[in-house]
Amino acid sequence: MRNVYVVGVGLTKVGKLYDISLRDLATEALFKSIDDAGGEMPEAIVVGNMLSSLVEQENLAALIADHAGLRGITGFKVEAACGSGGAAFLAGYSLIASGLFKKVVVLGIEKLSERPTPQTARGLAWAADADYELVYGISFSGLNALVMRYYMSKYNVSREEMASWAVLMHENAATNPYAHMRNKITVEDVIKSPLIADPIRLYDSCPLSDGAAAVMLTSRDVARKVTDTPILVAGIANSVDSPDLSSRFELDSMLAARLSAEKAFKMANISPNDIDVAEVHDAYSITGIISIEEIGFAPKGKGAKLISEGSFRPGDKPTINPSGGLKARGHPVGATGIYQIAEIAMQLRGDFPGVKVEGEYGLAQNIGGVGSNITTIILRS
Amino acid sequence: MTTIQKIWRLRYKFFNLLATKCSECGFVSYPPKAACPKCGSRNIKEIKLPKKGKIISFTVIRVPIEGFKGSDPCILGIIDLGGARILAQLTDTEPEELKIGMKVEATIRKTAPTLDGVVPYVIKFKPSGRRAGIFTSIRQILGSKHVRSANKH
Repeated sequence: MRNVYVVGVGLTKVGKLYDISLRDLATEALFKSIDDAGGEMPEAIVVGNMLSSLVEQENLAALIADHAGLRGITGFKVEAACGSGGAAFLAGYSLIASGLFKKVVVLGIEKLSERPTPQTARGLAWAADADYELVYGISFSGLNALVMRYYMSKYNVSREEMASWAVLMHENAATNPYAHMRNKITVEDVIKSPLIADPIRLYDSCPLSDGAAAVMLTSRDVARKVTDTPILVAGIANSVDSPDLSSRFELDSMLAARLSAEKAFKMANISPNDIDVAEVHDAYSITGIISIEEIGFAPKGKGAKLISEGSFRPGDKPTINPSGGLKARGHPVGATGIYQIAEIAMQLRGDFPGVKVEGEYGLAQNIGGVGSNITTIILRS
Repeated sequence: MTTIQKIWRLRYKFFNLLATKCSECGFVSYPPKAACPKCGSRNIKEIKLPKKGKIISFTVIRVPIEGFKGSDPCILGIIDLGGARILAQLTDTEPEELKIGMKVEATIRKTAPTLDGVVPYVIKFKPSGRRAGIFTSIRQILGSKHVRSANKH
């Protein structure tokens, strides 16, 4: 298998981007990644996206490549719910690692602001079990609320401790120019925000965002030619779990997070202690907290307590979500995994334009469903 | 807002709380699977889950998804039926009454209309021993909107 490098990144601002179409948003990120890679043109484009059906547009690779003057190249879309970006990255990685291609752009894109919230929320719930869960009107907030209540009860975690995740994320996002939400908040703001699906409140939840992110992946010879700071993909793995919540082995753990992290660490030949900076998938505070436990950054049941006691802040090893995470950078669903990877690559290159973390190893973890499709990626400077 | 075909196809599984039990390792899965999620064996058999259990987590959906707006407060729970869990709607109860560990039992209730406008019945769970009161009966017959407006007058 050949080594694969990230040599270019391109991000758009995350937010409710009513005046930008899907194709223009995607093209902005695509062009930025090409320019960042010294103008190298991709031979293939892999698109990560979950819900372009909401804007009545499928066949995204053809649409985006053609709009961007790349008619004739190879392209396809990868879907893995909110984990579509990470899964698309695995596909793009494989294209280079196999030797089939030398230059591939992986692009994540999502437009969630096009429809009223109940319709978007319904679309997101399609990632759960449609036959056995959707029939009851379950929302994604509802599914995560079931996990959050169970977790808080089992480990005796307080409302204030859970809220500290969101406070840290908003603090980190304050200087991130791409972030959806850059306002600082307090524990009290979180606890008093409107209920979405109890115990989940507005500030326990990520915003529904639009956004696009792209990374240029190349083989070693191309990487050497185009950049002085190639970032190696040192480890990558994906794992699936049940889309339904009821048949999980345990309600308060995420098997796919644990397995994909273990495999990625083994491939990179390192342990969680070696990670300097991580971007984990905190669609809800509870998702982020269980994630850091499953990856191995915190003992089981202690994630929220450690955050509330001041761990994982900028400068700590590891620093968690210096971008502000899904909570504050935002969650442009199919693009989120690519944002995380691009942010980690920039941290390791030293040019992330927000909270900076120095280090050699970074980790990105992208989740689809309530932990049912997870990709963990380890990058090395 | 599912389809009537789906409800018809699943009716036997729904109403019998049908799960699958692995003959090799004993793992019980609801929803039923084609092979055991734990050991991968295809040597599984269908079993009917008990109709009584206890709540191990619950939530009230305050921001309903499309197709469920206007229905009663959508209370969802995960119920331990002894060896297997089920996610289902809770009925004949109010959010303030709910507690982890509360005993509940299966009952049959309407859910949101399908895309084709048919009102399907599904299994929901109510507090153990609770008899549907007059209010609940009227609500079932007329739909919650009628009851709400009737209460106002």
